[in-house]
Amino acid sequence: MKLVSLFVAGLLLAGCAAQTPQPGTVVAADRFTQLIVPGRTTRAELQAAFGDTKSVTFDSGYEARVYAAAAGGGRSEELVVLLDREGIVRKLRRRPAYPTDPQR
Amino acid sequence: MRGVLGGVVLLCCLPALAQEGASAPAPSSTPQTVTVTSTRDPVDKSYRKMIRGMERFEREHALAPQATLRFRLLPRLPTVNMRGITLKVVGDHVTLPVPVSDDNGFMLPRNEQALREDAAVIANRKTTSMTWRAQVVTPGLPPNTRRLGDLRLECLVGVEAGLVSNSSPLFGWIANALNSPEQVCGSPDGNFLFFAERPLFSVTLRAGARSEILPFRMLYAGGEQTRDMLPYCDCQVMLDRTYYAPIWDRSWPDDTLVSIETMDEAPAEATP
Repeated sequence: MKLVSLFVAGLLLAGCAAQTPQPGTVVAADRFTQLIVPGRTTRAELQAAFGDTKSVTFDSGYEARVYAAAAGGGRSEELVVLLDREGIVRKLRRRPAYPTDPQR
Repeated sequence: MRGVLGGVVLLCCLPALAQEGASAPAPSSTPQTVTVTSTRDPVDKSYRKMIRGMERFEREHALAPQATLRFRLLPRLPTVNMRGITLKVVGDHVTLPVPVSDDNGFMLPRNEQALREDAAVIANRKTTSMTWRAQVVTPGLPPNTRRLGDLRLECLVGVEAGLVSNSSPLFGWIANALNSPEQVCGSPDGNFLFFAERPLFSVTLRAGARSEILPFRMLYAGGEQTRDMLPYCDCQVMLDRTYYAPIWDRSWPDDTLVSIETMDEAPAEATP
């Protein structure tokens, strides 16, 4: 019985300690937006500068990648790039942190 | 009615039926045949359920007072030809043709006999090769814009009508049994998918002075679908058009506008 209680307590503590995962690899937002230029930056350049991150590849050959930047208060900003089938960054957008976002 | 095999059914294994009644002809050594006029499949869409979805639309019309309802067929398999689709309601003794528009939208006629006979809505494509959805649209919205109340109603009608099929074949019936329209459409874990008309890059909500961009995890079915998982998602060939809308979050009013920036729009500058 004591073992079970300890196990449950451990689970609860682990749950309290667990944090919401970042949406993607953490980068410096200013450096990111300075280096990444839609219409010019290639996948190889993006990869070399900021590394792997969460991404989705579509049947069309396009790929969306998301990076994160600290926004204070335990929240983070999202930086999303769209690569076309030739591997060129087609679009870049920033999603600021909102008060309703979960804290990390 | 469900599960009846199509084509010609041999009755040679049913001698008891063949001998029923005093005046029944003597059994013959020649197999009897019965011609079944249509093919039914357990995955066919239920006419009764789709009518229940239409009734739900009427009951909850306040979510989208100006909107109209129709149903829509979307591709699910990469091989399906979405041109020239025909549709009919088929019961035991009734068949109703259903006109399909160029964008594969349709409206169902109400027919009491078809309801009594638990008819099916059947397309001239394999049912599982397409994604079926309710479409609730308020007229006069800007291009690439939806209204949140319309989406709320689409979810309620779509689930009530039994159109969603996002689970594996083995466990799908269990999932459906546990997921009422209220559960699916009223919870962040409802996972009801919406599809834009074209591949999307960003989705923004606007209500009065409040404006928020949806997080990445609400686009592309959460960005978590692997190649192995996609066949169980009705977003299978529309992943780049897929998004979740916060229909469960009542802090966003029904008049909230949902603006979709597509992948093929002119490149935009980074927006702070």
